[in-house]
Amino acid sequence: MEAEEKYLRMNKSERIQHFLLLSSFIVLVITGFALKFPEAWWVKIISAVVGEYAFEARGIVHRIASVVMIAASVYHLYYIAFTPRGRKLVIDFFPSKRDITEFKNSMMYLIGRIPERPLYGRFSYIEKMEYWAVVWGTVIMGATGFILWFKDFFFKIVGNTGMDIATAIHYYEAILASLAILVWHFYFVFLNPDVRPMSKAWYSGYLTKEEMEKEHPRELAEITEAEVTEEKQKDV
Amino acid sequence: MSGLFIAVLFIAVSENHTMSFVDSDDDCYACHEDKDLTAEVNGKKVSMFIDKNKADASAHAGVECRDCHQNYNPDEVPHTKTKTNVNCQSCHDELKGIQESVHGKVECASCHKPHEIKTVKQMKEAGSQECLDCHKTKGVRQFVNSIHDKNNVNCDDCHKGGHGVVKINKANEQALCGKCHSKNKMALANSVHNTTLGQGNTKGPSCTDCHGAHGILTSKISIESEGCLKCHLNEKMFPGEEKGSAKFVSQYKTSVHASITKNDIEAAGCVDCHGDHMVQDAENPQAATIRARQMETCGKCHSDVVSKFKLSKHGQELANGNKDAPTCSDCHGEHDIKTTFSNDEFSKINLVDKCLSCHKDGKITHKTYLGEEELITGYKESKHYKALQEGNLDAPTCSNCHGAHEMKNASEVDSKISKRNIEKTCGESGCHTEELKEYVGSVHEVAITRDGNKDSPTCNDCHGNHVISEKDIDDKLEKSKAVIKLCSNCHASLEIAERNDLPTNVADSYKESFHGLATRGGMQEAANCESCHGSHNIRPSTDSMSMIFKDNLPQTCGNCHPGATQAFFTSKIHIEDASIDSPIVYMITVFYMALIIGIIGFMVLHNILDYRRKIQLKKADGS
Repeated sequence: MEAEEKYLRMNKSERIQHFLLLSSFIVLVITGFALKFPEAWWVKIISAVVGEYAFEARGIVHRIASVVMIAASVYHLYYIAFTPRGRKLVIDFFPSKRDITEFKNSMMYLIGRIPERPLYGRFSYIEKMEYWAVVWGTVIMGATGFILWFKDFFFKIVGNTGMDIATAIHYYEAILASLAILVWHFYFVFLNPDVRPMSKAWYSGYLTKEEMEKEHPRELAEITEAEVTEEKQKDV
Repeated sequence: MSGLFIAVLFIAVSENHTMSFVDSDDDCYACHEDKDLTAEVNGKKVSMFIDKNKADASAHAGVECRDCHQNYNPDEVPHTKTKTNVNCQSCHDELKGIQESVHGKVECASCHKPHEIKTVKQMKEAGSQECLDCHKTKGVRQFVNSIHDKNNVNCDDCHKGGHGVVKINKANEQALCGKCHSKNKMALANSVHNTTLGQGNTKGPSCTDCHGAHGILTSKISIESEGCLKCHLNEKMFPGEEKGSAKFVSQYKTSVHASITKNDIEAAGCVDCHGDHMVQDAENPQAATIRARQMETCGKCHSDVVSKFKLSKHGQELANGNKDAPTCSDCHGEHDIKTTFSNDEFSKINLVDKCLSCHKDGKITHKTYLGEEELITGYKESKHYKALQEGNLDAPTCSNCHGAHEMKNASEVDSKISKRNIEKTCGESGCHTEELKEYVGSVHEVAITRDGNKDSPTCNDCHGNHVISEKDIDDKLEKSKAVIKLCSNCHASLEIAERNDLPTNVADSYKESFHGLATRGGMQEAANCESCHGSHNIRPSTDSMSMIFKDNLPQTCGNCHPGATQAFFTSKIHIEDASIDSPIVYMITVFYMALIIGIIGFMVLHNILDYRRKIQLKKADGS
């Protein structure tokens, strides 16, 4: 039997970037909401485990995680600007007219009006939305978080109203981002009947041919076509 | 000796046929007017001179010598052979029975003088001197200094005059003294002293045991306790340690009544409390010292405090016959009466136990600043009590706040701890001067003193009534939480906020602020109410002395945020209604709410549809 064909989804650099993002994100969510909901049962458990200075530790860990996330983001900026694969990545992430068509067809498919899924390329509209949501969220959370971190300095500039605004945005954006990840990203990675219990791409880096056929048929087709062209050129 | 025998024999033989050798007094005076006439009687040279003038002026004027001196032979010198002893009874019938009297063997002349016989009237005028000529013992001589002597009460007034002189003893002295001192006699008749006597206790005192026999002085007993203590300090007479024992009475010596003296006289002696003649056993309902009557007894001297006490609940209960109600001795002691002027253990620490013996758990409760029931016994947990125990006797005990005798509780307007007065009681005690200075003029103080506001807090509303809370809680977080809970008691109460036109959202908005969240989350040093508003000196933000007055904010915030020197406040801190107080935040909130509901709602829907479709597809593949 022929060994199963694998298709590279995330290279090592991307996997590390993703891991830094997901770990810092989870830490930020926990340490952030622990501040806002101090009486929640899970906060009480963490506080009991950490001990007397749990609150102070929470603040420090939140800042460390934010630095990790921002560092990862800065590296990502370098990655998409100065590496060929990075440039290709961000180009593939750019929204296009095709996305609108695919979105429409996807909706029609989901409600049963048409029998076939749209033939997605490397990134579906779902993945593009998630990517740009992360970009947007990181900028918003980074900026407001920075203001709140250096409160004594910014207080003089933006006043208490500005601080209140930063606090409000940081809070609501956190809710939005957390829910988006929880509801959409976790669905596609964990609950999705095609991949459950979990898509292994984020640590293996590869998708199977079957997965490619289901999720990224157009990309698969492009790859196959490219291979065929290559072989033809070889033959020639 | 034989001569005397012959003379007696002669009297017996010749009684009825008296012979007279003398014709007239002139015969006698012929010799006896000579001032130098002497005779030897029983070996002693005695003057035989008789002053005729005095004799003629005496009661016996007109009585001739021979009427008394019978059978005197003028030719026989001395007239010893035939003389008959003078027999006054031959004329004076009233002398019958004198032999039985105390003076039975005393010759008439010892009192009446031989030749210058005094009339009864003259004897009276001479007073007691006649008696004292013979009765020269020290005890009797004291009579001359006595009140009786000064008031012309003479020997015969007590001992019966004339010829029926009697001795006075325990059996008859009450009757005797009572002739004049009838009231005292009646009082004594009901006294414990008399009861003891009646029961056959010969040591029970009667009149002279206390007053003395002859040297009676006015009021001496009432100002000196020695008379009483003579017996009552005798441990053989009053053994044991119980009430009434000598040991118990001896505590008097340590009392303020005994130790404060004026002209060597105690401030209060036994009789001042126990009464004099009618002194009763302490348990006797008639005793001046029983619980119910102490107000009256002590009030004789301490009228000012007793009048306050009578108006107090304690006094009223006592008057109504409540046996548990405290009376003077419960707090001040019985014989060991102590003053509360001094800061000593008795008046400060022991008083607490005294009060708490009745006001203990479950009996009387108070509402505390935390809205919980507070027991009066909580005082023992207070900083005040601990300070007392550590020897700081300036710390207040029950009476310092409630008043020693007026004993008022906080609900009484003129009480020292009423809403209006307590700040002075605490602040002018010499202990909390600084706190009072800060508190006066604060929004809370002004509300009380100017508006009579009943909701506004004063000292005890925050610090507690009896469990005066420890201000220096080591755990800053615990202290912070306590402060927030304390302020929230009123400032989170819609009822109180509406009644006093206060903002309703200060507590909730604090809780949602970073400061509030940090405290809730367990941060050791996050700002609480007090950090920004102060504690005693809380003033509105419009007041230039307020910590939250615009110009003072850099300093207030700077306490924790050293960088915040140019505090820049552009909107309210405690946001009441975000749409008015902070419209931008409000708009952001609305925007994000819409975004969250829209986006997440879409995602959830998308997931449901996607899941359904994929399951359908799997089933189709499987079949």
